[in-house]
Amino acid sequence: MMKRRLRSSISTTWQTAVIVVAALLLGALFIAFAGESPLECYGVMLEGALGSMSRISEIMIKMVPLMIMALGVSIAFRAKLWNIGAEGQMIVGAITSAVVGLYIPLLPWLHMIIAPIFGMIGGALWAMIAGWLRVRFNANEVITTMMLNYVALYLLAYMVYGPMQEPGGYNYPQSSSMAESIQLTPLGAGLRVNTSVFVAIGVLILIILFWRSRFGFTVDLLGHGTKITNYAGLNANRTIIWTMMLSGALSGLVGWIEVYGVHFRLLEGIGAGFGDLAVVITLLGKMSPIGILFASFFISALLVGGATMQRMTAIPYSIVDIIQGLVIVLLITQPMIQQKLQARKARGIYVE
Amino acid sequence: MESIAVEMRDITKIFGHKAANDHVNFTLRRGTIHGLLGENGAGKTTLMNILYGLYKPEGGDIFLKGERVDIQSPEKAISLGIGMVHQHFMLANPLTVTENIMAGNFRKRQILLRKDQFRREVLELAERYKMKVDPDSYIWQNSVGEQQRIEILSVLFQDIDILILDEPTAVLTPSETDELFITLRELVDDGKSIVMITHKLDEILQVADEVTVLRDGKNVGCRKIDETVTKRDLSSMMIGYDIDLDLQSTHECTGDCIALSVKDLTVKNDKGLIALDHISFDIKEGEILGLAGVDGNGQKELCEALTGLRPVEAGQIYVKGDDFTGKNSKDFINAGVSFVPEDRRDVGLALDWNIANNLIIKEYGTDAFSSRGLLLRNKIKSHAKEMIERFDIRAIGEDALVKDLSGGNQQKVILARELNGLPSVLIANQPTRGVDINATMNIRREIIESSNNGTAVLLVSADLEEIIQVSDRIAVIYDGKIMGILPGRSSVAEIGPLMLGERMQRHDETASA
Amino acid sequence: MWNEIFSLTFLTSLLTATIRLATPILYAALGQIFTQKAGILNLGVEGTMIVSAMAAFTVSYFSGSLWLGFISAIVVGVLWSSIMAWLSNTMNAVQVIAGIGLNILGAGVASYVYRIIFGVRTLPPQIDPFPVVELPLLSKIPVIGPVLFCNNVPTYIAFLLIPVSWFLMERTTFGLRVKMVGEHPRASDAKGIHVTLIRNIAVLIGGACAGAAGAYMSTAYMNLFTDNLVQGQGFMAVAVVIFSKFRPGWALVGSLVFGFSNALQMRLQAIGAGIPNQLLLMLPYIVTIFALISTSRKAEMPSAYTKPYVRMER
Repeated sequence: MMKRRLRSSISTTWQTAVIVVAALLLGALFIAFAGESPLECYGVMLEGALGSMSRISEIMIKMVPLMIMALGVSIAFRAKLWNIGAEGQMIVGAITSAVVGLYIPLLPWLHMIIAPIFGMIGGALWAMIAGWLRVRFNANEVITTMMLNYVALYLLAYMVYGPMQEPGGYNYPQSSSMAESIQLTPLGAGLRVNTSVFVAIGVLILIILFWRSRFGFTVDLLGHGTKITNYAGLNANRTIIWTMMLSGALSGLVGWIEVYGVHFRLLEGIGAGFGDLAVVITLLGKMSPIGILFASFFISALLVGGATMQRMTAIPYSIVDIIQGLVIVLLITQPMIQQKLQARKARGIYVE
Repeated sequence: MESIAVEMRDITKIFGHKAANDHVNFTLRRGTIHGLLGENGAGKTTLMNILYGLYKPEGGDIFLKGERVDIQSPEKAISLGIGMVHQHFMLANPLTVTENIMAGNFRKRQILLRKDQFRREVLELAERYKMKVDPDSYIWQNSVGEQQRIEILSVLFQDIDILILDEPTAVLTPSETDELFITLRELVDDGKSIVMITHKLDEILQVADEVTVLRDGKNVGCRKIDETVTKRDLSSMMIGYDIDLDLQSTHECTGDCIALSVKDLTVKNDKGLIALDHISFDIKEGEILGLAGVDGNGQKELCEALTGLRPVEAGQIYVKGDDFTGKNSKDFINAGVSFVPEDRRDVGLALDWNIANNLIIKEYGTDAFSSRGLLLRNKIKSHAKEMIERFDIRAIGEDALVKDLSGGNQQKVILARELNGLPSVLIANQPTRGVDINATMNIRREIIESSNNGTAVLLVSADLEEIIQVSDRIAVIYDGKIMGILPGRSSVAEIGPLMLGERMQRHDETASA
Repeated sequence: MWNEIFSLTFLTSLLTATIRLATPILYAALGQIFTQKAGILNLGVEGTMIVSAMAAFTVSYFSGSLWLGFISAIVVGVLWSSIMAWLSNTMNAVQVIAGIGLNILGAGVASYVYRIIFGVRTLPPQIDPFPVVELPLLSKIPVIGPVLFCNNVPTYIAFLLIPVSWFLMERTTFGLRVKMVGEHPRASDAKGIHVTLIRNIAVLIGGACAGAAGAYMSTAYMNLFTDNLVQGQGFMAVAVVIFSKFRPGWALVGSLVFGFSNALQMRLQAIGAGIPNQLLLMLPYIVTIFALISTSRKAEMPSAYTKPYVRMER
């Protein structure tokens, strides 16, 4: 059995690798269409992503929030709750954690504990709304989380233009900056990457353990349907709500990281596009923690390298979007193709 | 040659790794009722779905009136004059009767709906065949029997020569069945040819002119029905060997303590209507109470109420003397109430999961399988191995996905989980539905054995034979009420009238048998 | 400030802007009514719109014909949504994910192709957009005239599409087929309705309408193309479909609600009123959630919503 599991996980890795390569090859067609050499451009991209310590630090800056968010999204997805509201949950988490830093005078070390907790609570409550609507009214969570994304977006705009706007600033849509004593500390001189890396490692380990725990099993069970969940003696409704909350809490934590470790203030457009990226990473990582670790590295490298490529070559940054889009499209066709191949094999046995 | 309506030759159809039809031949003569007999999973429905264009066969040919035809879709089948009434009704609930019939009967190149004209045609046709329908009612407002009428009407609308009926009597009361058979005779006299899929031998003898028997996806014979054909002949063809269908239960209830007691239980269904109306009964330790009745008379709601899955409106439920009214499913599980649900694919099993996980979905939180919140994978694995061995589950291993198992083996997985650890009460709803005869016998044996070990069993089944064979006492449910409780081994003649809603006269005497 | 807000000029300009902002949403929503009623939730409308907007602009720019641009956008919308049709109906992919993927891909492709064709310029290339056509007599009615009868032709077409959609859905065999397929695909199949075909057509109709919506953005609402030309209108259209409970007439109301709140925000900003307009912009989305609650509770959602149909399932 151990062997079989190992074999199946190797073959999954293999298939995913094939998909990534296929997406890159299709992307190469686009590059060729623009009259550039794909090999050269991808070379520039690789160099731009991994060429120096500061480049790798840039990858980390992107990878930390994206990985945590994708781990959160994967919890909901494995329960077959299509939470596409990670971005809204992150925004609310950013707001609630910023409130702590801006308005509540505490000792710095206490801040470092309270602020992330507030972020997580904010994200969790925001996700809970969608969970509750699903349980209470059977309202499709795709639509509600999507709507709540916009509500959060405008809530943020309201905050940074209104009550939380930096006093005496130039009417920029942003809050005052956080006191230096409560910011996340950089890991090296001149590098942007900070102690949130350790938070990410901690979250990763916790989520690995989570999937081996009773709670993780319950979430997986919910993924097989609410009927069987109730039948097994669990309350499916309650499980839906706390699964959503857990999922949202991790996005909320990312809100804290963005406010305290990247921008050092609350501002409009914080974490824009993270929601979609987290979905891409979750799927590419096949919803497993280790898979998500690698997927988030790949996508972050793509983002950082793509920016370099745009500067150094005639290829626009949007090639990054194209490759990501292709990865998703190819990923979701894979199960069907596999099924077709298996059916063909079976047919061979009976029809000569 | 002209007397043959349909001929199917060498039909082969594969699902996954298994041949559902293996080089099957089938011939339907014009103006006859042809019974298609076989156990569950023998490939009857598959064969007819191929004729109706729903499935594409891997091999074989179909001839209609001697001409080879290629039926790639139901659309094509209908245009060739083939209609089918499915076991599960093909009606869209939020649309009206007229709209549903209309949807299957558009004219060629018809663009506009012309609802009023259609409504009139529906009424005319209904009158011609003396069927009562309300064309403006919504489907969900109609009873099961009425829905079947709508289905047949809808198919007749298509101007068909060949009518396929898939287990048409499964949801009907005996008298509704008789009515249906009269209608079928009329249709045959009208020149139509009918295929009736069934696994009930009596029905074949009662109504069919000819019968084809399928077993394990193969045609094992075709016979004309006359006086010389006996039930025994057909059953041995169907099963392949002479099986003692009368597995005599050596069971005798020995306990005195009441394990499960229900008093004046009232429960509502999903639509908020009364499903159970003041039901009362007791089951002793080691006793099997069979609950007979036509599907949809409150059985599902009763089982859910008795396992904490459905709220109780009024009345009480006692498990081993303790009041469990209003407790949740977890409490019932902890009290040792096991449940084999009717719908194993949706409720009882996680199809996309492996056997090992399915075996522990009720117990993974206990110390047996987890410690400090983390699951103990080795224990889960060894438990699965043990259960596979003990219940003879045929699978490649404990990490085989449940959806890849046969129906019988899927049911064994549920039984293994529910009977493990000696439950005090077992609620089994249609435990043998859709499984083959061998597995059926095994499941019945397991149920009897568990009651020998002291489990109180409520066996819900629409199959009277099963009820009579296994039960110590037999309760009959109709329209949410218990019509009477009979002693074990009562005859069909005694039970039948109660299933139609005739209340038993001597209720008090037999209830305490 | 308040005097300014309650003046007739302000009102007229507000309502005119409402119509202009509502039209693309209306286009996309009318198409999505068919798609969603057939049981498919296509979140990729946004992506279809941006690709079509780019196509409409590019073709108009080089051919000089706005109508050629408009029609090419519809063709591109159909082609682009055929990917969605294939993913959801042939590959049985999770529709939500397919939509998100196509949005990302669409944004990438539109921006990429535009940049390759036009290069990076300081001033973006422009075209002359669809001109306003004043309907004789009607346009002279005060307030109503300039608001309803002084619009460009694509706007009039969008309004004409409302009764057309209603008729198609309620009075034709196609409409009933769409409803059956979304409600009970297995039954539809058994009754001889080609489920995959109907669902594909429903997705493509949605694509054609999203194409028109995209074209409207780059050739009628604006006269140029930018990467963020389509900012949530696609998602608004999805919201409007839920809001309208799949009824074309109510889709107009929904589009106007979204259009109005956007227009009001822009007008208020223009006159420098210090009203927190962000809270106002939130409202339509919250209203949509309430509409979803009421449709879900009365089981008015198609039963097979977001569920792929597999005939071979045993």
